Amino acid sequence: MQVYDAVIIGAGPAGLAAAIQCRENNLNVVVLDEYPKAGGRLLGQLYQEPDGTWWNGIEESKALETKAEQLDTDIRLGVSVHHIETLDNQFVVHTKKENFTTKNVIIATGAAESPVPVPGWTLPGVMSIGAAQVMTNVHRVKVGEKGIIVGINVLSAAIAQELHLAGIELHSMVLPAKHIISGEQANPRKVIDDLSRVAHLAPSKFIQFGSKFAKYKWAQNLALQFYPKNGIKMWEMPIHLRKAIKQINGTEKVESVTLVDVTADGEIVEHSEEEVQVDFVCIAGGLYPLAELAAVVGCPFQYSEELGGHVPIHNERMETPIPGIYVAGNITGIESAKVAREQGIVAGLSIAKKESDSPDIIEEKLQTAIENVKATRKAATIQFHPNIPEGRANVSAAFSKIIDEQKTETTKEKIS
Amino acid sequence: MKDTIICRCEEVTLGELEELAKKHHSSARELKLLSRAGMGFCGGRTCRQAVDRVLTSITKKDPTDALPLKVAPPVRPMSLVDLGGAAKDE
Repeated sequence: MQVYDAVIIGAGPAGLAAAIQCRENNLNVVVLDEYPKAGGRLLGQLYQEPDGTWWNGIEESKALETKAEQLDTDIRLGVSVHHIETLDNQFVVHTKKENFTTKNVIIATGAAESPVPVPGWTLPGVMSIGAAQVMTNVHRVKVGEKGIIVGINVLSAAIAQELHLAGIELHSMVLPAKHIISGEQANPRKVIDDLSRVAHLAPSKFIQFGSKFAKYKWAQNLALQFYPKNGIKMWEMPIHLRKAIKQINGTEKVESVTLVDVTADGEIVEHSEEEVQVDFVCIAGGLYPLAELAAVVGCPFQYSEELGGHVPIHNERMETPIPGIYVAGNITGIESAKVAREQGIVAGLSIAKKESDSPDIIEEKLQTAIENVKATRKAATIQFHPNIPEGRANVSAAFSKIIDEQKTETTKEKIS
Repeated sequence: MKDTIICRCEEVTLGELEELAKKHHSSARELKLLSRAGMGFCGGRTCRQAVDRVLTSITKKDPTDALPLKVAPPVRPMSLVDLGGAAKDE
């Protein structure tokens, strides 16, 4: 039975970048991903940078995969990991067909969507915005004749542009109606505030939209008070901050949606119902770190609104408090693919250092890689939350606290 | 909204979740076991966040650092044949 130096779970930007670093340091690694193509969510991405250039995720993903292949990286696709078992100083990564024994694991499983439930959302023709992105950009399947997007945020705006580029007709973007689960996503004040704060970092067209609302609260209040009845147009599609979706209608599949007017606080205006014919609905409820495997292997967690939910506790070196378990990419917090890629480099180098006979040389590279993560974060075009650095600092502090507690425990044991 | 399905795999509605949570003053875990929400084919991947939000809004408590719903292997849908030792060590 062979023992790997590292098993990398996830062949997205983080996993592939980590694998490249491991292979450059001659480590014996295998990359596993359940999707039939490498690249993860990079595959769906296509947007225009503020400087006018285009970010094409498919090309970025190809570049990483080619480099990994040149280094003879063992990449296995269509393989689902369902469990990580802990042995003495080793782990067994369980997949449907094979089990891999390894000294280290990098969990780079990315994020999952959290679509807001809407009455009627189980009808065929309703999908998460990410599903619409994959169907359009990866499978090249037209998702429908005419659709509507529920949820107004950076991610849904970026994907709306992609759908527009693919020639898909969108009626509009609206808010989810206020209820127990939609929370702040249904509050026009919160949405406009978020949009104005990320506007300077968003793809070019979106800047023009977001910056309309400026940073001043009074301007936002005015904008909401006098928000145009026909919405503000972006890519020929109106964005409605004062309309919400109440219900999705249809018998066998989506036939229409019921929209309502909402106040500046998101309260539904009575008798304002309006029925709009569409044949598909995309729900954009945001992303959360997909950390199931980190939970199974026993990583402690921290809740961070800034990072998108519960994240496994880790440090800047992408180490978790469990020796041999590393994390990288969106599992550590929702950020752009470019940040994920830099984090993958850090995780790969951390393992290379651990397994190396001359760790000092790698330490130098590792420090540079850690700095690159921060620089990339600062320059990121798409920033999902305005306070990401704060969330990051809290998670690092939680890591230090756990390590300190472990040291105290060991000292106590020695004394007794 | 009460009739809206939250957990699609087990077909649990918002109304059922609210009623159970209020009646039994449930924790997230208890609510999961009482309703089966999050215990279906997808292992809670789709509804975990929504179920959490129902709870935090009913109990008026902010999310804690601990994961509200325990995660247990297998984390992906598996056939019994694959689980039953057919997997080979590499």
